Amino acid sequence: MAKKIKLSPMLKEVVSQIFRVPATQKYPAVRPKVPEGLRGKQIFDINLCISCGLCASDCPAKAIEMVNVEGKKRPLFHLDRCVFCYQCAESCPRNAIKDSGFFELASTNKYDLVIRPEINHEKGSEE
Amino acid sequence: MSLDFTLVFRALVFPGFSFIVLLTFLCDWVERKIEARMQNRMGPTYTGPAGILQPFADFVKLLAKEDMVPRNTRSVVFKLTPVLSFSMFVFAMFFLPIDGSNVILNSSFQGDLIFVLALVSVANFFLFLSGWSSSNPYSEIGATRVLTQFLGYDIPLSILAFGPALLASGLSISTIAANQRIPFALLLPWAFILFIIALQAELEKDPFDVPHAETEIVGGYETEYSGRRLAFLKLAKDVQIVLGAVLVVELFLAGPYGPVFLGIPEFWYTLWFILKVLLVVVITEYLTCIFARLRIDQVLVVNWRVLMPLSILSLATAAGVAFWL
Amino acid sequence: MTTVDQEILTTLGNKLGEKMLQTPTPQLGKVSVRVNAGVHRDALKILLEKDESAGISAITGVDLGENIEIMYHIRTLGTIVTIRTQVPKKDPRIKTITDILPGANFHEREVADLFGITFEGHPDPGRLVLSEDWPKDLFPLRKDAEITDIENKKENITALGESEQSSDKGVLTTVIMGPQHPALIEPEKFSLKVDGEIVKEVKPRIGYVHRGIEKAAEKRTYLQDVYLVERICGICNACHATCFCQAVEAIMGTEAPVRAKYLRTIVLELNRIQSHMLLLGHAGLEIGYEPFFQYMWRDREIAMDTMESLTGNRVIASFVTIGGVRRDLKEERIPKIKAGLATLKRRMVFYKNLLDGDPTLKMRTKGVGVLERQDALKLCVVGPVARGSDVKMDVRKDEPYAAYDKIPFKMISYSEGDSWARLMVRLDEINESIDILNFALDNLPTGPYRVRVPRIVPAGEAISRVEAPRGELFYYVKSNGTAYPERVKMRTPTFANILSFAHIAEGGNIADVPASFVSLDPCFSCTDR
Repeated sequence: MAKKIKLSPMLKEVVSQIFRVPATQKYPAVRPKVPEGLRGKQIFDINLCISCGLCASDCPAKAIEMVNVEGKKRPLFHLDRCVFCYQCAESCPRNAIKDSGFFELASTNKYDLVIRPEINHEKGSEE
Repeated sequence: MSLDFTLVFRALVFPGFSFIVLLTFLCDWVERKIEARMQNRMGPTYTGPAGILQPFADFVKLLAKEDMVPRNTRSVVFKLTPVLSFSMFVFAMFFLPIDGSNVILNSSFQGDLIFVLALVSVANFFLFLSGWSSSNPYSEIGATRVLTQFLGYDIPLSILAFGPALLASGLSISTIAANQRIPFALLLPWAFILFIIALQAELEKDPFDVPHAETEIVGGYETEYSGRRLAFLKLAKDVQIVLGAVLVVELFLAGPYGPVFLGIPEFWYTLWFILKVLLVVVITEYLTCIFARLRIDQVLVVNWRVLMPLSILSLATAAGVAFWL
Repeated sequence: MTTVDQEILTTLGNKLGEKMLQTPTPQLGKVSVRVNAGVHRDALKILLEKDESAGISAITGVDLGENIEIMYHIRTLGTIVTIRTQVPKKDPRIKTITDILPGANFHEREVADLFGITFEGHPDPGRLVLSEDWPKDLFPLRKDAEITDIENKKENITALGESEQSSDKGVLTTVIMGPQHPALIEPEKFSLKVDGEIVKEVKPRIGYVHRGIEKAAEKRTYLQDVYLVERICGICNACHATCFCQAVEAIMGTEAPVRAKYLRTIVLELNRIQSHMLLLGHAGLEIGYEPFFQYMWRDREIAMDTMESLTGNRVIASFVTIGGVRRDLKEERIPKIKAGLATLKRRMVFYKNLLDGDPTLKMRTKGVGVLERQDALKLCVVGPVARGSDVKMDVRKDEPYAAYDKIPFKMISYSEGDSWARLMVRLDEINESIDILNFALDNLPTGPYRVRVPRIVPAGEAISRVEAPRGELFYYVKSNGTAYPERVKMRTPTFANILSFAHIAEGGNIADVPASFVSLDPCFSCTDR
């Protein structure tokens, strides 16, 4: 009868949690700090491209299509197929594909989900 | 025949039907916010200031959805039971003093405590029927669990409710509420605690959450309901929570009576009433958060081997305290 | 080859005599013998005599043109022994081994589904990963299968599902924990025959998320395959990538540099921490204990944020590649990671006290879903399910890969065999993983983190094993000298554990079914591939 009954630690924990700030991140009112190196939307620099086509052949999701722009073959990125693995950036011998860290890519418009080589996409946001 | 305006006003608006439904929404919001804060998250935030309109928004959304009746159900019982159990619970509230007197003035009688407890049992039985009339194995299992659990807690609940009746020497709830100079929770603390535990079982909250355990039997007796009927079933469950809290307040916490400052006594009585009900809701929510869900056979063990003997013991001690007083 | 392997080879050679046809050159230093179809049962019995805890790890089929090669990979004494047989395509029949090892049930059914082999004497043949209306003569993994125009070739079936005769079990209700159910994260069907509240029989049906990844892997290059196998399962994605890359590196004969091995260990242990925390939270939800679930997942965010800063993404890491890892870990990030790990360690003390002390939790998990040690061995279970039943197996100790031979850690095992023991194994493993991570971060060697490898892989085959959070993950890769692999076989840990679910659920309450089920840690995307 004298065995010490261990009280569950939940009893105190639950009460103490009421007085703490909620752990919920108040997105979108509060924007989170984007960690460095997050794999977001790609930036394609047309001046460095040599039309080798390695990005398109290495893409695991077949999301890159080589299209004809002013007589040369350039990559067109289909972001709805892309898995953001960045194998294209690794395979490119001239480092023409870079990471912008922009991740808010949801859209109701298919036009937003394509990176066309003829348009300058230097700023990854709000385009 | 002229309709008494006071009667209609009291029955329909305040403190009758509309007040009870609004109180239900308020208690639901407090419950969800407290549960969320205990789990370190935010709870309803967007609908209305601090999310206070969320229960109302849920109710309205469900009213607008399609209402399907599966083919093999016993359709009369299936269609009627949500509304019937909701109305039973609301009707039971009419006999509990909210602003100093009952909803229908001068309608309290000796023995209305037993009447209210009987109404609660019948309303629970309608919940069982709602599951039994669906043609779904999940609903059948949920319905049998409701009944099995009900057999366990109903008797201790009634026995414990007689403790305050002995102390107040009367079986009318208004008498019990009015005769509490010192709240009975302080005179009979063990009965208070046991009553709240038995109430957890009646309200089907953790650890006695078994009849509608979502992760095992999908929805329990609610599985086949949709649209308006589901809205009423959910509202019936919420009114049941409020009814349980009000019973605790009336029997153990001196009802709506409290210190009256300058002004109308009815206003202050209602205010104390609401505050005490919210306090009981917070206590039951705390109990919900610290326990896991027990299996049905473990629930039976707790009911019959722990609650039952302890409640008989508490009745005996209440008789002793009443005699000493 | 190690001495243990040599010993096994000699035993097999002595006992089988001339029935053992030839020993092809062993890969990765593993024993591999070739026998005639029919002699495989004798070879298996010899191995079981030598070691009573031997179990079947996987059964692989390879299409060789005229014949189909069936390989039985037996896990014994800390290594894998492969017994190969061949059956002609025109008459693909072979005797079953389920009477010796009941755990081979699902493995044989899968090979039967995908290659068209008939296992004579199998107790329960039937579709496993393909649907019932798949055309009967189309075997997807054969090289000459034409998988086109399936809609018109589908079978005409009138009644889906098993017959409902309850012969001698009285009046039973069938409760179907169907493909959509709140207790299951991913869809699979379990038909429970219940009597009141007691479960009498359980029949699992898997294959609802079969995506044909093994066939898809043959049509992509090795580099693209790394990203493909990562997406078999979100929770243990780094383990799949590491296992595949290790197999390809073994065929090529290269090794990742030392820094890459440490970095791979870091990401593997991070995977393990977040997977175990996910499961413990999910277990809390199944038992009806919601605050436990919310607290656990809030603390899991520390691991997810660390993963994001290390690899660039929260879930699918895409960190491991053939020849090493893709990014380096900068020195200035290490203090923040270590601070996060210290917080996690403090929180784990609270959870351990909770699992030890909370009365309702113990009432729901102690003595529930007991798996005895003998049954665990016969059903060939892996991972924490085995370690919770006192079977001490862990690939990190038996056959160290990545940097595990240089990092000291303990293997956790409990002997009760119930759900509580399995949950405690995972909780203690989180603590061990935090210690491994601290050691690896402190002793990270300098050097390159990647070597360049050619795109064309020489002909050969290799086996690779990794300890995923759910158990032993097994890969077999065969290459034919081109840029595309010839055969990639993945045997995931939940696939090996699913049989034990039927065993532990029978005889208990319906309410115990989710509680015991979640302690197995099922991941159906892995199971079905």
